[in-house]
Amino acid sequence: MKPKLKAISRFQPEPRETILEIRNLRKVFNINNAFVTVLDEIDFSVKGGEMICIFGRSGCGKSTLLNILGGFIAPSSGAILLNGKGVSKPGPDRCVVFQEDTLFPWLTVKENIAFGLKGRTTEKKASEEEIERFLSLVGLSEFRDYLPREISGGMKQRVALARVLILKPKVLLMDEPFASLDAQTREEMQNLLLSLWEKLSHTVLFVTHDVNEAITLADRILVMGKDPGRIRDDISVDLLRPRKREASEFLLFSRELYARLRD
Amino acid sequence: MKKRTVQTDNSEFQTPRSAFRILPWIIPLGFILLWFMVSETGMIPTYLMPHPAEIGKTSYNYILGNPGEAPYAGRFLDDAVASLMRVAMGFALAVILGLPLGIISGRISVVQRLMGTTINGLRAVPGISWLPLAMIWFGIGIKTTVFLVALAAFFPIYLNAAAGARQINPLLLQAGAMMGVKRLRGTFAILLPGAMPHIMTGLRLGLGISWAYLVLGELTGVPNGLGALIMDARMLGRIDIIVLGIIIIAVIGRVGDQLLKTSLRVCFKSARRMT
Repeated sequence: MKPKLKAISRFQPEPRETILEIRNLRKVFNINNAFVTVLDEIDFSVKGGEMICIFGRSGCGKSTLLNILGGFIAPSSGAILLNGKGVSKPGPDRCVVFQEDTLFPWLTVKENIAFGLKGRTTEKKASEEEIERFLSLVGLSEFRDYLPREISGGMKQRVALARVLILKPKVLLMDEPFASLDAQTREEMQNLLLSLWEKLSHTVLFVTHDVNEAITLADRILVMGKDPGRIRDDISVDLLRPRKREASEFLLFSRELYARLRD
Repeated sequence: MKKRTVQTDNSEFQTPRSAFRILPWIIPLGFILLWFMVSETGMIPTYLMPHPAEIGKTSYNYILGNPGEAPYAGRFLDDAVASLMRVAMGFALAVILGLPLGIISGRISVVQRLMGTTINGLRAVPGISWLPLAMIWFGIGIKTTVFLVALAAFFPIYLNAAAGARQINPLLLQAGAMMGVKRLRGTFAILLPGAMPHIMTGLRLGLGISWAYLVLGELTGVPNGLGALIMDARMLGRIDIIVLGIIIIAVIGRVGDQLLKTSLRVCFKSARRMT
């Protein structure tokens, strides 16, 4: 189950193209007739194949940001450009892995993974092969006929990952997807995510409040501050992969990140 | 790859299979036994409650006897088919109207607001008060019965479908939207399966109440049907036929409920896997 990563995994010498641009995003909520600015001056761009962690304390608006990117809520002002085109509604080009279990409880593991492919005009045999491929990519081939209630929380998140990766989204949005898992399973899932990223090279925006998770995964960490939610820092993580938590560079990095979280 | 069997229930707390099988029959059989004993001792006069053996004789005559041989002989098939047809038509009408309306009002608050007061007001009106009106509108006969059955079955079907559609986890709909599911497919692939446990409850309650209103509708002097049979027997003082009619309705009602449950489970994954 444990995926092995190559020593030097993602050194891509060729310049990567910007695929997602967030321009001056602002979100104001009206709570009991008081206007609360949750997000302000959110401005960044994402290159194809990048793994970005949006990192901050709870309540800083990072989930709201992800929901706006997913198209579930509209921003008060600002624009989101995907490959230069504005987006406003949810769609399979920006797939989401939620923190909660959102599998369809009446479908088996395999049927859940196949769900998004249905209604697409693909050949039946080809999509059948795709489903098999993704079942094995997340290591659930043996559990294909199980129902969500019959598998563990970690397995459910693997299904949630597979059912969106199979749609080949331009950007994968992940909203603290492993937060409700136990520490060991969480690490397993992080490794799985990295190994899938390795194979499929999709672009990931990953929301987390866990320092170690951010450093383990990210090419870049966007540190968000509170009241209003702003991006305070944009840190490149240039540690070699696979990253070991015991390594001194890792510890240095995490100390630094903790410090930034405090001020 | 075959599915492994998964024990979802806590089997160690379950009674053995054979005991589990006979469990539903204990109360009816016990009741019949008690009835038998009371009748044997003559504690209850036969004009209040006939002896079970007599009911047995009557039912044989009613179900298998040659028509014309005796009063009520061989009428069973005719009565049962007439009643079943009425229930089926009334119930189908209630499903056709109640299910879509319920789902829509469960999802769209404007519709809910528009319909809620009216539906809950009408729901409070007892079926028997509709009877005189229905007889004036539709006359004596099948239309009145079908109207009453449809009216009665509509409310549980509508209300449960609305509750089912309302309580569905909004994240499931969001998940569908981000996977590119459009409204029509979302309705059939997410909304309906998600609401299935409630829908099923509504349909079962609706079918159950259909039988109650069937008897009410058939009291109006239709020539055949199980309700007509009971009413007719009351006029003639045939208490054995009344009791037999009640037992037959109970049996058909139970079988009908089981059939409904089974056919939903055969037709829908969601009914099979979530109820």
